[in-house]
Amino acid sequence: MTEANEQIIQLRLELRRGIVVLAVLSQMDTARYGYNLIQRLAEQGLDIEEGTLYPLLRRLEKQGLLISEWEVGEARPRKYYHISPAGREVLTMLRAAWLETVDVMRAILEGENDD
Amino acid sequence: MTELIERYVHTVGLYLPQQERAEIEAELRSLIQDQLDDRYEGSSSQADVVVVLTALGDPRRMAVSYLSQEYLVGPSLYPFMMMILRHGWLIIPSIVVFLSIFGTLVSPTPSILLGWIVDTGIAAIEATLIYSGVVVLIFAIAQRSGIENNMKDMAFNPLSLPKIDDPGVVSRIEVIIGIVIDIVVSLIFLYFLRIGGLTLRFNLNDPGEVIPVPVGWLLLFILNTFIVLILHLWVLRRNRWSVTTWLIETMLEVFGALCLYFVVFLPLSAPLMAAVPALSSIPFTDRGAEILAVLSAVTTLVSRGSKWLKLWNYRHSGLSPVPIKTSA
Repeated sequence: MTEANEQIIQLRLELRRGIVVLAVLSQMDTARYGYNLIQRLAEQGLDIEEGTLYPLLRRLEKQGLLISEWEVGEARPRKYYHISPAGREVLTMLRAAWLETVDVMRAILEGENDD
Repeated sequence: MTELIERYVHTVGLYLPQQERAEIEAELRSLIQDQLDDRYEGSSSQADVVVVLTALGDPRRMAVSYLSQEYLVGPSLYPFMMMILRHGWLIIPSIVVFLSIFGTLVSPTPSILLGWIVDTGIAAIEATLIYSGVVVLIFAIAQRSGIENNMKDMAFNPLSLPKIDDPGVVSRIEVIIGIVIDIVVSLIFLYFLRIGGLTLRFNLNDPGEVIPVPVGWLLLFILNTFIVLILHLWVLRRNRWSVTTWLIETMLEVFGALCLYFVVFLPLSAPLMAAVPALSSIPFTDRGAEILAVLSAVTTLVSRGSKWLKLWNYRHSGLSPVPIKTSA
């Protein structure tokens, strides 16, 4: 792998880092377990590594944005997460900020050769 | 198959804080099983488990992503640093106390017991703090120099995960530290053999005041240390403790305690009592050498006995792997 390719991969990772939280919160109105969420996001075109998502769910829970509970009625215990009231507020604000950022970036990128 | 999952989860757990370990481990088990069910519809082989675990990545990296903390020394180097620190925390104060006793013996002026204890305690704490600082600094420099990144890039193979509670697993760092200690002890006592006794001055031409020791026991102690050194090298090569090797090492350690009685404890006890007269008022100090030797031997037997029993049970439980044959 060339140095330029590595740089691009690194930059893409940095770009994605912030939006993963937004993507996860946006899917948590329904209670989901980790692997179910990975599949759900992958179906919509966002691939997240397991090693990234599972710890993230736990962090968001610690921050009070998600609520979790163990479901023991199934074949084996599973931990389900869903969004908390505080998480919903954060999601609303993040969504607005993201849409605004998209508009700003589109304007910047589309006008990149104006000068 | 399940055993491999357990080994992975257990290894992740080793790097997690105690209060969060059980829950994260339960969650990981469930997540791995979800993936296996989804990919292989409930009939997964060991090779399938290997694929899933490889995708999850190195257990240390998985653990650190749960921790999400800024660190001076990262998860790849942290266990090695702690291993070296723990050994030093035992060895450094012992060396300081030993040197302080020695210094008192060769000093022409008698010491006051309380002052000696306070001075030795402060010196031991200072030395331990300096040692800890230097070790952490070295590892922090290693961290910044990218050694950890190189370790991260090493391919992770789930089949190489350590077995859970296998008492025969060799901690290579511990054995290597043991080998270094064996070499240092051998060299020091070879020097004592050359000059005919104990001294603090390491100068063949001018060894200073020498406390004579029985040469026969000194030779036996050096020989014993050499045999321990060879045993450590053997274990390192085999990468496994067996019932026999652990028993032999225990016996050598006990014999080493007996040798120490004759070459260190006994020769030092009389000059120590003369140098610190207040010691004679403490009960049993006149038998201090014998008490120290017995304590060393008993501590060795007790601390090592439990592992020997585990090795014995492990061998007879049928879990022990087939011994690896090595060329002569």
